[in-house]
Amino acid sequence: MLSTPESRFLAGGVDLLGEMKDYIVSPKRVIDLKQIPGLDQIDTTTDTWKVGANVTIAELARNDAIKANLSGLAEAALEVGSPQIRNVATLGGNLAQHSRCWYYRHRDLRCLKRGGSTCYAREGENKYHSLFSGNPCISPVVSNLAVILSALNARVRVQRAGKEVTLSMEELYSDAWNNPLAHNSLRPGDLIVQVEVPTQKNRSAYLQVGEKGDFDWALVSCAVAGQNTGGRLSDLSIFLGAVAPVPYQVESPLLEGGELSKETIESIAGNIASKATPMAHNGYKVPIAQALVRRALTRVIS
Amino acid sequence: MSGWPKNPKQLGKEHLRYDGLVKVTGSARYASDVQPAGWLYAMILRSPWPAARIRAIDLGPASSVPGIRAVVMADDPPFVVRYCGEELAAVAGLSKQACLDALRAIKVEADILPFVAKEEDALRDASPRVFENQPNAAQPREMQTGDAEAAFKTADKTVEGFFQTQVQLHNCLETHGNTVKFGPDGVTCWSSTQAISSVRDGLADNLGIPLDKVAVISEFMGGGFGSKAGAGVEGGLAARLSKEAGGLPVRLMLTRFDEALAVGNRPSSFQKVRLGAKADGTLVAYQLDAFGTAGYASGGATAAGGGGAGFPAPYIYRVPNTRVRQTTVAINAGSARAMRAPGHPQASFGMESILDEMALALGMDPVELRIKNDPSEIRREQYRIAAERFDWKAKYHSPASSEGPVKTGVGCAGATWGGGGRGSEAEVRINPDGTVEVRCGTQDIGTGTKTLIAVVAAEVFDLEPSAISVKIGDTAFPPSGGSGGSTTAASVAPAVFDACQNALADLVPASGMSVPTGPNWRSAAARLRVNPIVARGRWKEGLSSKGVGGVQMAEVEVDTETGMIRVKRIVCVQDCGLVINRLASISQINGGIIMGIGFALYEERILDRQTGVVLNPNFETYKLPGAADVPELDVILQDMPERGVIGIGEPVTIPTAAAIANAVSHAIGKRVTRLPISPAQILGLLGKTPGITNPSRGTG
Repeated sequence: MLSTPESRFLAGGVDLLGEMKDYIVSPKRVIDLKQIPGLDQIDTTTDTWKVGANVTIAELARNDAIKANLSGLAEAALEVGSPQIRNVATLGGNLAQHSRCWYYRHRDLRCLKRGGSTCYAREGENKYHSLFSGNPCISPVVSNLAVILSALNARVRVQRAGKEVTLSMEELYSDAWNNPLAHNSLRPGDLIVQVEVPTQKNRSAYLQVGEKGDFDWALVSCAVAGQNTGGRLSDLSIFLGAVAPVPYQVESPLLEGGELSKETIESIAGNIASKATPMAHNGYKVPIAQALVRRALTRVIS
Repeated sequence: MSGWPKNPKQLGKEHLRYDGLVKVTGSARYASDVQPAGWLYAMILRSPWPAARIRAIDLGPASSVPGIRAVVMADDPPFVVRYCGEELAAVAGLSKQACLDALRAIKVEADILPFVAKEEDALRDASPRVFENQPNAAQPREMQTGDAEAAFKTADKTVEGFFQTQVQLHNCLETHGNTVKFGPDGVTCWSSTQAISSVRDGLADNLGIPLDKVAVISEFMGGGFGSKAGAGVEGGLAARLSKEAGGLPVRLMLTRFDEALAVGNRPSSFQKVRLGAKADGTLVAYQLDAFGTAGYASGGATAAGGGGAGFPAPYIYRVPNTRVRQTTVAINAGSARAMRAPGHPQASFGMESILDEMALALGMDPVELRIKNDPSEIRREQYRIAAERFDWKAKYHSPASSEGPVKTGVGCAGATWGGGGRGSEAEVRINPDGTVEVRCGTQDIGTGTKTLIAVVAAEVFDLEPSAISVKIGDTAFPPSGGSGGSTTAASVAPAVFDACQNALADLVPASGMSVPTGPNWRSAAARLRVNPIVARGRWKEGLSSKGVGGVQMAEVEVDTETGMIRVKRIVCVQDCGLVINRLASISQINGGIIMGIGFALYEERILDRQTGVVLNPNFETYKLPGAADVPELDVILQDMPERGVIGIGEPVTIPTAAAIANAVSHAIGKRVTRLPISPAQILGLLGKTPGITNPSRGTG
């Protein structure tokens, strides 16, 4: 029953109900997850924390242990939607949410992602769209939590065809890089049950720029995480959100060095421009991404 | 000249809203809350095509959806639709879901026609025509004073610019709609409207029934901003559905999606401006070539006098030689309607921007340049008041000179508006138990009209406003006009004042007391025994006037690395004649400024060139300022009680965007040319976006 496209899971319902109201999806069955015991727990007893998929975004934002040890995660959670949305939206739903592209979400259009033949955004109104994509669809991943959890090396436990599989964050999204129809790598019937977050990376930060001061999607978001051992930072990683169909990793050999000078940071940020392929209206995301990388790195090392 | 009391007890004080409690507790019944017995939900099927010839509509499958009680066509096929969202049919039924299912069951056969979605495209000869038999561009309107050509030759400095403003949506928080009961005795319509009288006229006309058979009620409504002056197509459809359903009441409230398509907007503008001045700052010549769109009808069919895409030019300043040419161009989009100060915010943005360019060219302080060229003594004084309060002289530095990546800047702009009164009537009833009822066939668009009526009556009778019972929003009451043009306060207050004075004149002999007001009120009223006093009054000259000025100054911060703009502070000095309720006046001004911030930084209807659909028919992507985006608002009311009552709903939203745009330009040292001002535009102007120096168009 679960493994057909005619069934969908419902937790907070923020994403699913929106798609149903616009007739983007019309599942025959909606399966309520809210009452499943234990799915709303945060287990901090081991070095790798286990966060249930039903934990609300509001809880992630206000949880004292998370604020103290995984501050970037709390910061990313606090930027999600409005207080009302954060109170019902869940971790699992946030990670599994579908594209917010306004062509995809328009009830009268059938774009490439909806099974049509054209990505309208490529030649159209693409100010919110991707700078990087491995397929013709340029709608970006908009989950704040995906970006910070990628930086934290989180892993996602998924119930799949009666078994449990564990996916890296990269694996959770990789299908969306290649396949215009995919929002992530989840298959019909897959259910995110838990997210494992290692706590080794004890320094993290999340920053975003939106058009409005609050209750708005990120134009670009940036998460940085690393391990601080006696004042020395290692294992630094940087991810950008809203610029690619997947959390986009900013890679640089300079990150290995440990000591990040102003010039090094400048060089890491500067590199983003050469790899991006801006469309007519989204080139401005490049300087924003660069500024956020500089600022997030500076925060983590200071 | 004013007949208002010289030393009022109530007028001009701060009064809480008459209906504040019922509004915040949710017991106020808006048009969208009314539930007369047997009411049906209703919804409209709209064209998904920007242009199409509708060959046939099959309503059969919709009628057989369980729970559906009525289905009607918007028109008899064949007919042509000219924008996404034009009405095709409507359904009424027992539940929202039944209506949704019925809409999806309707079968429409259509030939899809070519369309045009962008103004620049529509101007080209090869462009598809919105109306087959006429060019998209209307005949330009040309106006001339003096000899601009010759005057430019005498100018010491000439500056030029090309400025663009977007299509802005009204997006009233309560959507458009009505609950209509078409019974054997006539039609009753509970309407979310700013003009019950116009809704009544429109429905009678639309349905071919006499006026005495139509009653319109609007006890509470959630905003109109110019777009709710009539029953609309949706009102007529609701009435026809009710008739079809055997007289069951039909509630047809539009969806947020519908609101973005079919119930009005502020036209866009593209303004090529040239301005010439003498070295001392005296303006000598002005030239404007402008076009914009008011939707499919070129502005010909807009409701509430919205007209085309034209605007006053040159705006407010004295320029002896001018040449102005304005064109309205049709595109396949919903029609414009009057929107809070129609034409003025666009006009203000173009004029105040070019004026700041001139100030830079001349090396003059922008405030000095305005004071030199503004013919209004009131505004010249307001600039002095505002500059002191704002600390303008200290804050106006040379452009882009603040330290660090976050730059601060300041800007200013002025505005004008009419806001006078016109023929309204009112009725006052003094009951023998001392209660007072005021009836007036006006409506409260949200500005606090009920409170205003209570305050005026309380003033005359020397009572507290809470002692007055106010009844408005019913066409059975004495006629009053629509709430448009900032005329309601200036129309209603004098009529109520007159009615109260007439009632008082009757109460004196009837009670036998020379001073029946204040502490004597109850005993005076008691002497009426069983005969209440009923007195009428009407608006008359001398209690209101028109013509206000206002200026605003804005201070902003611009993050030059991310393009983010934060408005820190707005100072507003507004002339408002006699203030009736100080709290409501300031609140209304705050609202106007916030709407201006939306126009400056966030709001834009985005119509897709490839598909003709509105891409942002929701509050997720049609961005309205939220609490986090509202700066410190510092409002100074310039009281002039001797002028009588003047409306201020519209003037206060006019100069905000221009002042912010000037402040942003001042902060970064580059001229902002397009609203809304986005991070993309800022980064483009600063040369930080790869391949783009000045994103002139599209989602910038």
